[in-house]
Amino acid sequence: MVIDKATFKEFQIVGKVLTDHMYNTSHSGNISMKSGGKMLIKRRGAMLGFLEPEDIIETDLYQQDSGIMLSSTETEVHRQIYLQTDAMAVIHAHNPFCVILSLIEDEITCIDAEGCYLYKRIPVIEVENPAGPTDAAREVPKILKKYPIVVVRTHGVFAKGNSLIDALQYVTGAEQSAMMRYYTLLLGKPLKRDLSQEKHFSEW
Amino acid sequence: MNNLILKIDLSKEESKTEELREDLIEQYLGGRGIGVRLLCDNLAKGVDPLDPANLLIFAIGPLTGTVVPTSGRFALVTKSPLTNTIMHSNSGGFWGVGLKRCGFDVLYITGRLKRRGYVVIDGPNAEIRDAEALWGLSTEETLEKMKELEGNCQVLSIGPAGENLVRIAAIMNQAQRAFGRGGVGAVMGSKGLKAIVVKNGTKKFQSNLEQIKKVNQVATDKIKVFPVTSQGLPLFGTAVLIKVINAFGMLPVNNNQMAYIADGRIDEISGESLRQRFLEREEGCYACPIRCGRLTNTGEMRGKGPEFESLWALGPQCGIFDLKIITHANYACNKLGIDTISAGCTIACAMELQQRGLLEDSAMKFGNADILCDLIRKIAYKEAIGEYLAEGALRLAERFHGAEYAMQVKGLEIPAYDPRGAMGQALNFATSNRGACHLTGYLVGMELLGVPKLIDRFSLVKSDLLALKQNQSAAEDSLVVCKFVGFALGLDYQVRFLHLVTGQDYTIDKLVEIGERIYTLERLFNIREGFSRKDDTLPERFLKEPLQEGPSKDCVVPLDKLLEDYYHIRRWDENGVPTDEILQKLNLERLS
Repeated sequence: MVIDKATFKEFQIVGKVLTDHMYNTSHSGNISMKSGGKMLIKRRGAMLGFLEPEDIIETDLYQQDSGIMLSSTETEVHRQIYLQTDAMAVIHAHNPFCVILSLIEDEITCIDAEGCYLYKRIPVIEVENPAGPTDAAREVPKILKKYPIVVVRTHGVFAKGNSLIDALQYVTGAEQSAMMRYYTLLLGKPLKRDLSQEKHFSEW
Repeated sequence: MNNLILKIDLSKEESKTEELREDLIEQYLGGRGIGVRLLCDNLAKGVDPLDPANLLIFAIGPLTGTVVPTSGRFALVTKSPLTNTIMHSNSGGFWGVGLKRCGFDVLYITGRLKRRGYVVIDGPNAEIRDAEALWGLSTEETLEKMKELEGNCQVLSIGPAGENLVRIAAIMNQAQRAFGRGGVGAVMGSKGLKAIVVKNGTKKFQSNLEQIKKVNQVATDKIKVFPVTSQGLPLFGTAVLIKVINAFGMLPVNNNQMAYIADGRIDEISGESLRQRFLEREEGCYACPIRCGRLTNTGEMRGKGPEFESLWALGPQCGIFDLKIITHANYACNKLGIDTISAGCTIACAMELQQRGLLEDSAMKFGNADILCDLIRKIAYKEAIGEYLAEGALRLAERFHGAEYAMQVKGLEIPAYDPRGAMGQALNFATSNRGACHLTGYLVGMELLGVPKLIDRFSLVKSDLLALKQNQSAAEDSLVVCKFVGFALGLDYQVRFLHLVTGQDYTIDKLVEIGERIYTLERLFNIREGFSRKDDTLPERFLKEPLQEGPSKDCVVPLDKLLEDYYHIRRWDENGVPTDEILQKLNLERLS
């Protein structure tokens, strides 16, 4: 076991929430934490909802090492986020409503109060190969310098935080905002109050 | 395919060509499959592997030499002087492509030369030339001499170990890659054959080239985004596995008395360390986008490798953690033509025999790096203790009354994964037709690396999966493609490629059935040679002695349970003999 029990518990909790809320399939998604010049990241192929201590892999933060043989396929995206932003923890999930809206919009504009408080707008980016780590590793950190979360069109979200629990809040909050926007769009009725039209929003 | 066999009878110094029957290709594809069928049909029961009658069969597959990723590989099949089992092996590089371009699918060699010689396949022509002046040269020197004599060519050769009939001798491919296991170099040496050269092949294989290139692009993209094939192996070579396997408490130390290195010694011998200290450049085989090969330079010497298994066998298995000495020992094995796994494991066995008071040699101690390179030289020339080491771990241990200290199955030394940490891989070692082989059904991929999917390494429900993997692996070895491409691409890709290259309809099921036919035929060969259930086992250490520390602590292998399920799923009887039912299904008959 490469981490202490308390940290492992945090991995377990976050992994379970992401799976239970169907942000990921049984095997998709990956989560990581920065730790003393290293990165602790979910093992490739391990199930987020049922993590075991052996499923947390330690790999160097600054350069490639043999951890790449076991760590998540998107390890390089996580690494670049840590190297280029203030992230202490990173979550990658396949939030269904965020992905749906990414197919038709260039940003997810929050219309609920919580979303406006946390994000106001959630950027959507497009990369040539969304399933591989190379393009995302180049583009995602640029956005996370300014925002806590980004949606990669057709694929899913990358969120950063001070801790895994912090990043989890951004992931779940974004999904809730996306869901509310999605259902509101379905209703097709004008909004009685549109927070996105109010002061300061457009400056964000 | 060219549908042509080049047959060379060394005793008569004659060569001729024969048509390769379509039904053989249909049922056995090429490579390992065709080689196994030809060996079973043409080698009589009980022939000594070093007798002139033994066969050396080199075979390419339908994908060899195409643009398909990693399609430079080709297979060798013979009877092993180390194990007396059937022995299949495959190698990369460019020699197989050269043979195919000369117009042949199979090179079939029998007999023994009266005078030492080498074979030159020059386009469609074959000739035997004198090699008296080459005898005694290292594989590197032989390659240089061949280039001087034959020009631009690809060379398989033996070193002094093969010449001296060392039972762990390898056949070296361009002096760097190896048909390593099972003492195949001794078979070549017993025939008085120093080298086999291919050159001047001009045949091209470009059917459906545009369509193949399209599938190839998708396949290559997949290889390039998968971290194991796009980063781990290209950056660190196969030595990347040193720290990975240790992390699971499965990296054997001191002849498998331990399997976990908890301190900084592991960093000294890691793939990262090899890259940082000695890497000169990465190298790749024909049509390989992965490029896991290492050209290294220690400042004192320069050469190829070491690969993961070599680094481990000559290193931790002998209690040695000096990367420079391990690398030099690896170079020595390449030059002298010795299998690095068997060499390291046999030396480790000798060290434990000394530790147990069964072998009197005070220098033969775990961790004594000073003796390593000299021992390898002694093995090649059968000097002093080298005479016994040259026989492999089992014969050595039996001679010194400590057979239980030989970490082997069917006489083949066990590679770098302690069986106690992964039950499927343990069963694979016990049942592999060529002895303890890690590649015949590489469950390490699923049990440790999570490719294609992660499974519980301690689960005992592995028999069905292992049988499937062994069958798939036999099919891949017959195509012939590299095991590493399988990390990124499933058999579905190979089916597409095969269809485009041959124009024939293939399915995954059909490939697996061909693999099963090959695997079962190998089993029939071994049964004919006297092998049975008693040989499908592991050294007692793995069955009764739990590991004392590390992530695989307290584990042993409950082999009987695994084996019963395995025989059942293979439709073999309780003695491990294939039933009439499965033979009929696979269109096989018992060998006489």
